[in-house]
Amino acid sequence: MIRDSRRDPTRRLKDILWVLTFVGIIAMIFRFAYGLGATTDLSDGVPWGLWKILNMVAGAALATSGFTIGFLGHVLHIKQFQKLVKPAIVVAFLGYGSSLFALLFDIGLPWRFWHPFVYWNIHSFLFEVFWCVSFYFLVTFLELSPTLLERLGLGKLHGYMHRAASVFVIIGITLSSLHHTSLGSLFLVSPQRLHALWYSPLISVMFIVSAMGGGMMLLLVIKVLYSWWYEPDKLFHVTSSGAVVECKACANPDDNGHGKTLEAPDLPMIRTLATVAAGILGFYLLMKVADLILRPEAMATLVAGNWESWLFGVEMVIGVIVPIIMVCIPSVRRSTVALASAGAMAAFGLMLNRVNTGIFGYFRDAGVIYVPTAIEWAITLGVLSMAGLAFFFLVENFSVFNENWRKKGSESLNITSAFDHLTYVWHYRMLTGLERVTLIAVIVLPLSWIFLNPSYHNPVFNEVQPPLAVDVERDTLQLDGNRAGVSTMFAHAAHQERLGGSESCGVCHHLSLPGDQATPCAECHRYMESPADIFDHDAHKAYVADSRGLGGIHPENMSCAECHQEHEAETALSASNCFECHQEDMSPTDAVAIQGHLGMQYAAGYHTAMHGVCIQCHDSDEQKLAYDNPELGECATCHYAVQPADLADDGVLLTQTQE
Amino acid sequence: MAGMLIDVTRCTGCETCVAACVRENHLDPVLADRDKATVPDGLSENRFTTVIRLDESHFAKKACMHCEEPGCVRACLVGGLTIGANGNVEYDPDKCIGCRYCMLACPFHIPRYEWSATVPFMKKCEMCEDRLAQGQIPACAEACPHDAILYGEREFLIEQANLRFSENPGRYIDHIWGEHEFHGTNVLYISDVDLISLGWPALNTVSHSIPHHTETMLKATPFIGGSVLAGVSGLSWIIRRRMELMNGNSHDDKGGMEQ
Repeated sequence: MIRDSRRDPTRRLKDILWVLTFVGIIAMIFRFAYGLGATTDLSDGVPWGLWKILNMVAGAALATSGFTIGFLGHVLHIKQFQKLVKPAIVVAFLGYGSSLFALLFDIGLPWRFWHPFVYWNIHSFLFEVFWCVSFYFLVTFLELSPTLLERLGLGKLHGYMHRAASVFVIIGITLSSLHHTSLGSLFLVSPQRLHALWYSPLISVMFIVSAMGGGMMLLLVIKVLYSWWYEPDKLFHVTSSGAVVECKACANPDDNGHGKTLEAPDLPMIRTLATVAAGILGFYLLMKVADLILRPEAMATLVAGNWESWLFGVEMVIGVIVPIIMVCIPSVRRSTVALASAGAMAAFGLMLNRVNTGIFGYFRDAGVIYVPTAIEWAITLGVLSMAGLAFFFLVENFSVFNENWRKKGSESLNITSAFDHLTYVWHYRMLTGLERVTLIAVIVLPLSWIFLNPSYHNPVFNEVQPPLAVDVERDTLQLDGNRAGVSTMFAHAAHQERLGGSESCGVCHHLSLPGDQATPCAECHRYMESPADIFDHDAHKAYVADSRGLGGIHPENMSCAECHQEHEAETALSASNCFECHQEDMSPTDAVAIQGHLGMQYAAGYHTAMHGVCIQCHDSDEQKLAYDNPELGECATCHYAVQPADLADDGVLLTQTQE
Repeated sequence: MAGMLIDVTRCTGCETCVAACVRENHLDPVLADRDKATVPDGLSENRFTTVIRLDESHFAKKACMHCEEPGCVRACLVGGLTIGANGNVEYDPDKCIGCRYCMLACPFHIPRYEWSATVPFMKKCEMCEDRLAQGQIPACAEACPHDAILYGEREFLIEQANLRFSENPGRYIDHIWGEHEFHGTNVLYISDVDLISLGWPALNTVSHSIPHHTETMLKATPFIGGSVLAGVSGLSWIIRRRMELMNGNSHDDKGGMEQ
């Protein structure tokens, strides 16, 4: 059956959803092929990202209408909400289904998703969330099943399921009230880490209350969108004089003569729903205010005016305060579109609240920023797009909103010119069915494969070789700091004895590894950004920024490219040669030649390093021991050069020649 | 309950403990890029312990504090984290599903994830479980050349700490980090500088264990479930009954389903 796709207002949206779905599928493949580290920006600082917070925590919150409308319609038997029960169940089913699906990509070992059913920790809120969400998803499926069975013609089964409906509704409400509070309780475990604005002892209650309000608001938006898309006959618009004009002509969206605001039907129901939702949000607002007053530390951060306060402000103003005010304004209450706008803002605010709580609230403590990668966005949006397409499929093929829904028949084609044949192919042949989707797939799949392919890899480090063999077992060591083939003899045992025996290593060696007392430089100077490293990375950043006159609020953060190659991971490998700046500090004649490390040829010589260690004592002891060893401070006391020819094959000194 | 007493005044930042830990746990001595870029304290899948430079002349070893009431143990939904026989917090990779909730629940940011692996697990110090089982002391405590890490029973360590306070008046701040913080940890610190940068709460503030924060809600949960189930069922039954009586027959109102 060919539908007039040009008149299908959902066509463009569906195209976009298909594109996102295919991009998401490619991203999913990469996620499993390369692992979390390569495909996400999650880190030890911010371990929970888009998939868990946006898809799961926010997704579940936005799908609360499944139980709230179920309560209003099936338990309280409020007539006007009963026709919303089925759409609400569809939203809940798809919301929870997509959340659980997205979780499979988020957890590290998705094939163990069943573990919490077998291995229990009943003291974990995540355990409770997992159980309740899984079973609630099952319940929404059972609640939905009469609608599906009805269409499939399984009348008898349909009857059984139908009779059990109110039992499912009650179980669903119980599971929902449990897991929505537990979703909030999840964050109770990080009082030190979550920002004070969002960490509250009341967070569990706040989560369920805000979810109930925001979820209803989202359902209201969906209801109005549905009417726009599928009930063109019922739309009307209100003229400036206040008269209501039926708007059958609006069936042709190309004809804009009727005015811009297309009002959806069922205004009384939408208004009541918005009022109930606004009431719940009002309660939520009171809780938030009370919470801020009771916790001075949160109030302090709110008035501090940092970016968290702004995020919190946006969330509360757009998501709670403005929608409540809007629902109270009489002119808004007369317009389904205005009410739906309030609903959309509330739903956005709810989503922002969850993202603030789960992601932004952790930034300050973690000290790192999390910017989701393209693959993370692709999977998040891909999963949501799949849910969106499933929504259209259910709405178009089952009696979800409208009991008498049947697909419209094909309409006659009116081809007037040769050019229109192309239009015909685009609109009527390619665009309704499988061909259209295939076309999208053929274009999108390879493109997203190319653009999403993660380029992440771990470079292999070239490790610095220790200085030339130093035999610690011998009494006398040959020190060839510059690897010039010229050694200096060093009476290690004698020094050690003089300085206090085996306890004295620390006098000269600023560190001492067991069994390897002469530690190669590289043992310490390897992780240059480590706070414990001698190389002061922060000081280098500040000095470089200052000396090169870099701008910005934090010029030191602009300095990366001064030493590290641009567009490459900032590692030692991509760093400039230290020698470029430290030429004077590292004279080539007094340097250790280092090959393969950092592309650097010279490091401060062992010579210099040893001098730093030895000369200090020799100088001071020369004064003290002048009567005993007056030459202690002279170079030749130590430096009687040893040529390689003087050494036997095993490196033992044969002769000593005084220089 | 055994643990370790870390004396910050004795630590010279030589990282011998780190090297010993890397050797004992067969970690990769070379850090992955990612590990270095994202974590200020240097802990990662390849470093169960690191040495933090507190200021110019003070260093401190950081690793799992092995809390007596650990947040991670409370958080793990499959019970993959447990308290071992020696008071050390153990990890069972066979149960783990990779949800990373333990990472969120640790006030010290200890659990780290194998981000570079396609089949990843959580990684953290388990106080050398295998060595303890063989009667040895943890590798870091054995390796420390300056005796900055003392392994022993927790009571003994507290005694030792107090002994050092009395023997070296003025050398230490008279406080044992971990004795009461977060309801007590098995790794204790004594120091002459504040240890906030290791993740400890400020001196003389009350800090509860992570499970303590969840206790109220956890106890309320069965009550919430039970009361909602009972309340909604009751409400449903009453309303249904009243509707039946009002209609004067057994009209079965299934709401919108049968419109």
